[in-house]
Amino acid sequence: MLSRCLILLAAAASAFGQARYQDAQHQLDLDSFEKVWTTVRDKHWQTKPGGLDWQAIHNEYRPRVENSTNPAEARAAIQEMLGRLGQSHFAIIPAAIYSVVDDEEGGPGVTGIDLRILDGQAIVTSVDPGSPADKSGVRPGWQVLRSGGKELKSIIDQARSNPAIHELQLTRAVAARLTGPIGGTVEAAFLDRAGKTIDLNLSLTQPRGTLSAFGNLPAQRVWFENKKLESTAYIRFNMFLDLPRVMAGFQQAIEGCKSCDGLIVDLRGNPGGIGGMAMGMAGFLVDKPNQRLGTMYMRDTTLNFVVNPRPEVFAGAVAVLVDGLSASTSEIFAGGLKDLGRARVFGTHTAAAALPSAFERLPNGDGFQYALANYISQGGQPLEGLGVTPDVEVPLTRAALLDGHDSVIDAALGWIRRQKTP
Amino acid sequence: MKRRVLNFALVALVSGIAGAFAADPLPSAESVLDRYVQVTGGKQAYAKRKAEIAHSTVEFASLGIKGTMIRYAAEPDKYYTSMDIEGLGKVEMGVNGQVAWENSALLGPRIKTGIERAEAIREGTMNPTANWRKLYPKVENQGIEMVDGEECYKVVMTPAEGQPMVGYYQKKSGLQVKLTSVATTQMGEIPVELIASEYKDFGGILEPAKMTQKTGPQEFSITLDSVEVNPAIPSARFDLPADVRKLAEKAPAQ
Repeated sequence: MLSRCLILLAAAASAFGQARYQDAQHQLDLDSFEKVWTTVRDKHWQTKPGGLDWQAIHNEYRPRVENSTNPAEARAAIQEMLGRLGQSHFAIIPAAIYSVVDDEEGGPGVTGIDLRILDGQAIVTSVDPGSPADKSGVRPGWQVLRSGGKELKSIIDQARSNPAIHELQLTRAVAARLTGPIGGTVEAAFLDRAGKTIDLNLSLTQPRGTLSAFGNLPAQRVWFENKKLESTAYIRFNMFLDLPRVMAGFQQAIEGCKSCDGLIVDLRGNPGGIGGMAMGMAGFLVDKPNQRLGTMYMRDTTLNFVVNPRPEVFAGAVAVLVDGLSASTSEIFAGGLKDLGRARVFGTHTAAAALPSAFERLPNGDGFQYALANYISQGGQPLEGLGVTPDVEVPLTRAALLDGHDSVIDAALGWIRRQKTP
Repeated sequence: MKRRVLNFALVALVSGIAGAFAADPLPSAESVLDRYVQVTGGKQAYAKRKAEIAHSTVEFASLGIKGTMIRYAAEPDKYYTSMDIEGLGKVEMGVNGQVAWENSALLGPRIKTGIERAEAIREGTMNPTANWRKLYPKVENQGIEMVDGEECYKVVMTPAEGQPMVGYYQKKSGLQVKLTSVATTQMGEIPVELIASEYKDFGGILEPAKMTQKTGPQEFSITLDSVEVNPAIPSARFDLPADVRKLAEKAPAQ
């Protein structure tokens, strides 16, 4: 009799516990709905977001979330509400998927490997000379199979199954698995050119570049390189920061190559930075006054991204290289120069993240992405959500990398050569 | 936000009181502006000021960025300002009486034209407070508004060229505490709101030691640290920098 009572009590307690859990989760979903709705109301660049009566939208969707019977239903209602905006970069990332890209060991130490996701595989695209990876013999074109005992393929497949996870996030998340504390090590397995699996224990060292602070942003390591490829100037930098040094480097590269046939500005992997630097750099390449790269629309202000022609402007052919990790200021620069007809863009589609779009975690654990402004490139297309489509689509391939070729640079050089051919 | 709501309530309250008691007639805009000249030092103090070098600090608090600013000004309408902002480098601007220009590590050299040039030249006028008649052919007192809990006369000053400026002058002290306008910039027309506070005596003239400026989405403060009065400024200080001169030589006459 006693045991039967205990069982009943336990069952009741269990049921009661479950009900309380559901109530708590339900409240978190409601809180998340309110957070999403008020964020759009307060931060969207249009006072009537998407041209909608946003209060009416609240009245329509709040009951849907209130009446939802599980988190998936609540999430679907919030997602649908955001969909009514008809604008990109407003998304809910389910907590479970979010954790795939979030669960990175990470740290400031690096191996010197840069990688991209090519055909669903993590492929080494470059190795910093003298870095631990270089010293261990890692070469471009190698596939990274595992890191820290985790198979990268399954992480990549899982993340790619959700359209809310963009190439930029995925690549960063995978690359972060090859990082850790400086002075530490990371175990990684690679597939080399011959198809042999190579296990390495790579040291973690300081990332390349000079530490540069800008206001409240955490200090970033910024590097700038400039060299000549045949008679073409080649410029690459990892982000639009460290303004005095990077702008001066850009100017010196242009002035030091007045008679060059062409100029390649390689923005692959460049996530952006100070937006004004796009205008400043374009001033070295555009000789007509009053040209714009585009226009940014915020709630109270419209800003034209105007180009000031410098006293001496580079007159040769200009190629800009981009990929899915080229974001924000990189897209403003590439898209604007493309629209002005001043540059030919090579590579793959950009990140379509031209704006200060923010990611926040909601009370229920889901991720929420939202854009704060709209940016229209000079050609009339919004960059946010659409990005820059290259004039010449050239993907990197594992085969070319293994042969020591960067197919995107090769394509740009070929085009520049043809420009001087009568 | 709280302050806005509070001000709105106070404005409503004051409007009601003003309506009920039909208070003093509104002074003319001219008398409000002349009083501002008077309470900040008087015509004679301004007349003595032929040149100055002002040293300030600049802070974009929300961005965590600070900088320094030095401004050279001389009669009748010359100025040169140099700002050094952390992470952004040097920003220079000036007017040499004819050419209004700007040069920065970010955007390079540039010559201002049209309304932007007119606004810069107005800004370059020595002692603009005392010279308001020269700068604004039309002035109008549009009534009383509350600014930070104080009654202020709202005076609209319309220049010959460019957007009007709206100054708010405390009824009690006569001091200008707020200025709004729409700045014509290369990037577009940007609303500007400037709050002036902490008036101090700098060489015989009262000037706001602190100015908080909202320019579009940005807010920054300028703290006036010191003013050198009538220093010897070499005339070359107002010459165009080499890069700007190159552009001026290429550009059509203004």
